[in-house]
Amino acid sequence: MPSFSLDALADAAESETQLSKKEFPLMPVGQAVDMGFTDDGVPLIDPRIFDSPEFFRNPYPYYRILRDHYPVFHDKLHNTYWVTRYEDITACYFDDEGFNTIPKGSSSGVLGNTQLELSGVEHRRRRNLYGQHLVGKSLENRIPAIERLAKEMIADWENLGEDVVQDKDGVRTVNIAAAFANEFPIRVVSEILGIPKDAQGQFFYWYNSMMAGLGGSATHQMGLEARQDLEDYISDIVEQRRVTPTYLYDNDGNPISKDIISKLCETKIDNDYLSTEEITSNIALVIGGGGETTRGAILNLWYLLLQHPDQFEAVMEDEANWDLAFHEMLRHSSSIGGQPRHNTHDVEMHGVKVPAGSLMEMVDFSANHDDRIFKDPETFNIFRDDLYAGKILRSGYNKDGKCSHMAFGVGPHLCPGAWISHQETVVGSKILAAHMKNPRINLDKMPKDIDGTSLAPIGLISVRDLWLDYDL
Amino acid sequence: MQNESQESTTKAKDAVNPASPDSKVTVGRNGVAIAAHAPKEHKDYRTYEVYQRERVGQSTPKLRPGDLRSPAFMIDPYPFFETLREDYPCYRDWSSNGFWVSQYNDVTSIFADDANFETRSKLWFYNFPDYGRNLGHELPVLIARAKGFDQHTVPCMEEIIGGVSSGTNLGMDFAARLPLMILVRTLALPEDDFQFFAERYWRMQRGFLWDPVAQKAGRQAMDELSAYFDPLVEQRRADPGEDFISAIACLDVDGGPATGRDVTATLLEDDHETLHGALANMWALLLSHADQLEVVKSDQRMMKFAYLETLRHSAPVLFAQRFAQHEVERFGRLLPEGALVLCAAGAANRDPRVYADPDQFIVGRKDLCQREPRGQYRADGLAAGVAFGLGKPSIYPAIPEDRPPSRYALTRDTATTASTLLLEAFPKISLQTGAEVQLRCLRWGEMHTCWQLPVAV
Repeated sequence: MPSFSLDALADAAESETQLSKKEFPLMPVGQAVDMGFTDDGVPLIDPRIFDSPEFFRNPYPYYRILRDHYPVFHDKLHNTYWVTRYEDITACYFDDEGFNTIPKGSSSGVLGNTQLELSGVEHRRRRNLYGQHLVGKSLENRIPAIERLAKEMIADWENLGEDVVQDKDGVRTVNIAAAFANEFPIRVVSEILGIPKDAQGQFFYWYNSMMAGLGGSATHQMGLEARQDLEDYISDIVEQRRVTPTYLYDNDGNPISKDIISKLCETKIDNDYLSTEEITSNIALVIGGGGETTRGAILNLWYLLLQHPDQFEAVMEDEANWDLAFHEMLRHSSSIGGQPRHNTHDVEMHGVKVPAGSLMEMVDFSANHDDRIFKDPETFNIFRDDLYAGKILRSGYNKDGKCSHMAFGVGPHLCPGAWISHQETVVGSKILAAHMKNPRINLDKMPKDIDGTSLAPIGLISVRDLWLDYDL
Repeated sequence: MQNESQESTTKAKDAVNPASPDSKVTVGRNGVAIAAHAPKEHKDYRTYEVYQRERVGQSTPKLRPGDLRSPAFMIDPYPFFETLREDYPCYRDWSSNGFWVSQYNDVTSIFADDANFETRSKLWFYNFPDYGRNLGHELPVLIARAKGFDQHTVPCMEEIIGGVSSGTNLGMDFAARLPLMILVRTLALPEDDFQFFAERYWRMQRGFLWDPVAQKAGRQAMDELSAYFDPLVEQRRADPGEDFISAIACLDVDGGPATGRDVTATLLEDDHETLHGALANMWALLLSHADQLEVVKSDQRMMKFAYLETLRHSAPVLFAQRFAQHEVERFGRLLPEGALVLCAAGAANRDPRVYADPDQFIVGRKDLCQREPRGQYRADGLAAGVAFGLGKPSIYPAIPEDRPPSRYALTRDTATTASTLLLEAFPKISLQTGAEVQLRCLRWGEMHTCWQLPVAV
């Protein structure tokens, strides 16, 4: 009988099973776990890393490996092609028919049919139905309302409980997530939609449930129920507004414009009024899109600025720098990781053949840290000279030799809330800054990194709680 | 009249397929023409109305995301399969970006449906579809393979039996070893090269899945095997024998004479899991079900039924991946083009709509097809255990005259013969005292089988 031993292989298999149970170790920020190398010294990527806590807090070294060695990474565990370079993502975003958005995404069940999932002409026809109310003149009209809401919320801090606001020895300690950022964007959205004040608390609950229900998660049912309740509620409002439109008012009580629901009620497409279902879905999207992202933007902006006191100083000295800080923050740490696309035809990118209909995940996070575009991408620098920070343009990905960040995407599916999100974050932050004297991060209350002393990195998830101290 | 009607038929065909000479039309056996690919011209975007149907928010609280990849699933997938089959027969698995299909009729309908569902090769999963040609379907290769299995099963088994003693692990020393021994002889490799070949073959077969370390090892093994086969192919082309490599070397196929890479590609696409897994699982089940072992001992013919029942009760290949060729509305859902469909053979094989007491291991059960299945995996109206490795039900007669026996028959006969010899040699074979029988997948997506089966003889 020939000598034959599968024992070595069986032992190896045994240790593989152990590894699959094992969590990946948490690494110092900026360093990747060793997942093996090819003979040419190229690091390997174990797709289980994408599910790991390590990846959520420290994603950028892995994205760097993908960009440098696997610009289109076929992840067979998640049946996904990860596209990670800025130039490639830009090209795909502009070709919205070759890389379509048909609904295979997880949001459809909860948010309903929205333009996230339309392509081509269908998308172009609907895109501006509500988007037009969130830009330009109609946005300017709404800024006083945004300011008023921010001031109202801050004025109310006196009345909040110990779990959110604590005063001691002339120093106030406040969690600006719970006291401001979590709810502010939703209040703004419900205000401009024209949701009655008494329903705004309920509205906030629906929003939270819908967000929790995305992605086929365990709380999906909650999300669906919230969505159904929201739909019932909005349907009634829509029916009323069809007959009696309502208005937004400026600080002097003069009507500025109709609220968005009233505007949508009189909008026609294909010579026909929008159905209540269409209005509701788009409102669900406005709520979903306008809440979480702006919440994260405000918190990340303050977290990053206060960790770079010189830059915070510069912003305090010149209010115009808030815009630079806003865009650099979105480049450095935005709240939306990327967008799914499906290739309409068989394509080959970087030598990888992708059959038609595959999920190609455009990783905006990675594009924003692509050092082919942004020098020293892991550094937060609001004065960097390679980031376009002017007026947000659909085609503005490359102006004056500068590239825009990818947090709002680019091309036909550019975030329609980009402009209002910008205004909410900057206006809200200016009002916060005016209120708080000498603000600084309360280190005791904030989560720490693995070394136990430095602040935890933002990673893929925006800051959840942000405790600040300021002098009263 | 007749001419006219013929013309109109032609016109109708053109209408189905406007100005796209590339898109293939296959004609099914019942005469219905099926376009292999939907015409591309109308694929620019989908209408709003199509989404309306998809706006069904299915909640799946009985399964947590990640359950189907958990360590518990890799050991005992059947509770998860039951949830899938009974509660979510077409389950959208976000973490795997696929649809799990789990009822018997659904799984077998996909399995038999090449027009709608594409099988991607292991080389495709290796991201190297042009590595070599899979020549396993060429008749001379099939004949050489069948001949090899026919000739070598008994001598190999005699050698294995010679090495069995109390404490022998049947999982590795019998079930894993026998297929490789037969293969080495079918390829007519020198016996001294056994270890070299077996290790690389094993690595190659384990490397095509998602694990990059295994993939690297697999690619390396493939290159080493190809380099090893290259001179053998030349040699046997000049002086052919009756073996598998000679059959490949002498083929006259498009793209020039075969090379070592073609031999490797052919071996890669061959199924290695069913024989290995079925042998290990069958003995694990027999040794842990004393009454069923008695049934097999009472009548030699029952060994075949034990094998068939094993493939049903504990299929080594738990699920297979198919991809929708175009948008298909099935199982109450709209499966988009390119969608991954995970066909859970393990769930289908325990579908209570098809089998009574499906969780019971019953040798000779009355509701299991005892012959090679036909059509949608049935014969005589009875369902057969779904075994993906064995390919689709054969379209050839059960006992073909000009063809070798099907893979289904070959695997069944080899497993049955080997097991019968083992039982004859050790009629008192039993599980070693204290040994625990456990089936498990070593890696997600790999075969579900018994790796440790120590016996007393």
